[in-house]
Amino acid sequence: MPDLSSQRHKIDEADAIEFYFEKGWTDGLPVVPPTEKKIVAMLDAADLAPEREIAFITNRRASVVAEKVAINAVMAGCKPEYMPVVVAIIEAMADPRWGYHGPATSTAGAGVFVLVNGPVAGRLEINSGDNLFGPGWRANATIGRAIRLVMRNVIGTLPGKLDRATIGHPGKYAYVIAENEAESPWPPVHVERGCRPDQSAVTVFAAEAPHQFYNQLSNSAEGILATLCDDMRISGNVVGQPQYALILAGEHMRTTAGAGWSKADIKQFVFEHTQNSVAHLKRTHRLPGVVKPEDETTMRPLLKSPDDLIVVAAGGRAGAFSAYIPGWGGKRASESVTKLIKERG
Amino acid sequence: MIEVFDPTTSPREQPVTYVARPESLKGKRVGLVENTKYNSDLLLMRIGKILQEEYGVEQSILRRKHNSSVPAHQEIIDEFRREVDLVVAGIGD
Repeated sequence: MPDLSSQRHKIDEADAIEFYFEKGWTDGLPVVPPTEKKIVAMLDAADLAPEREIAFITNRRASVVAEKVAINAVMAGCKPEYMPVVVAIIEAMADPRWGYHGPATSTAGAGVFVLVNGPVAGRLEINSGDNLFGPGWRANATIGRAIRLVMRNVIGTLPGKLDRATIGHPGKYAYVIAENEAESPWPPVHVERGCRPDQSAVTVFAAEAPHQFYNQLSNSAEGILATLCDDMRISGNVVGQPQYALILAGEHMRTTAGAGWSKADIKQFVFEHTQNSVAHLKRTHRLPGVVKPEDETTMRPLLKSPDDLIVVAAGGRAGAFSAYIPGWGGKRASESVTKLIKERG
Repeated sequence: MIEVFDPTTSPREQPVTYVARPESLKGKRVGLVENTKYNSDLLLMRIGKILQEEYGVEQSILRRKHNSSVPAHQEIIDEFRREVDLVVAGIGD
């Protein structure tokens, strides 16, 4: 058994949960008391030595080592086999393109939206279907929770201190889904980003809460996406040009794909139909300055490019609802990052 | 009784050295780091003007970061190292 270097506390088992509350080490919910056996099982599942550095968060001078990740994953309620997914998410968050400091700290209150792709999603039963962002699936709930606990306990991202979110959102507890690769007609996100279909990967995206949109009327791709674009055109940091995710659920996915639309077609359509006139952005006080005549016909895209829309097939089979997710800030401040999951063996 | 573990980590310490403050601003060149937030340029230019008019600063130059949540990028640092004697930076929102 490897030596663990973290400080140990001997306490009555009945007091353990309260002990973690008193120490300020929880997200507001009870935690699983992390014992040596559980921590070591977590490390073993990812084949990691306790002292192995998973990430170094420069702005916080925080070294994130495997032992601390394992402790927090136990506390969150993870099964040991979730550990490689948790590790991959932390690696992605430490990538300079994700830019930890901004989304973790900002008053705009981003959550860490995680998309899991590849065979691991099925093996770990990460939900990609009914009640997609809701409760009921251990893997979705506890992997997301483990990330937030690591942010809090290891990287110092404490609400009101180095997490300055004004409002935040419920996804900051846990915000993990899988893509419905079994029923999707399209290449999954990790394959679009260069992975093989038999590989597993996480895509980490600093994001607002999901915004659900309705279209129970149209049976055409254009109709559904026209509704989406009308909902989405003024959303999030509208002048900051962040990336967006689009979650197309069962009925909308089948209608859109059935009409022969690819993910690239969807991205292009959304790019073209979510642009705002500079005049409108000025009149609604999203851009400064007085409205000039040319502003009426000068269009500002919501997305920098069509590829800044991440199209995900996921959600329940029934119901004519889907969702879009505005990213945090702008793409230059934080962009979505995909990392392979290194499973043992 | 059970034995449980501390989930926290302390930041790694990093020594930071400050340069000595100038005794006077007279004749100095000032670099202003603008953080991209609305009106931060106006605020900094006003500060630059005050430094010139009331404290004898020779000139001030304003440069814009890529975004508010990252440090000034290398081009700004290189230019300021060559061209200015002191820097005014901050986070405005």
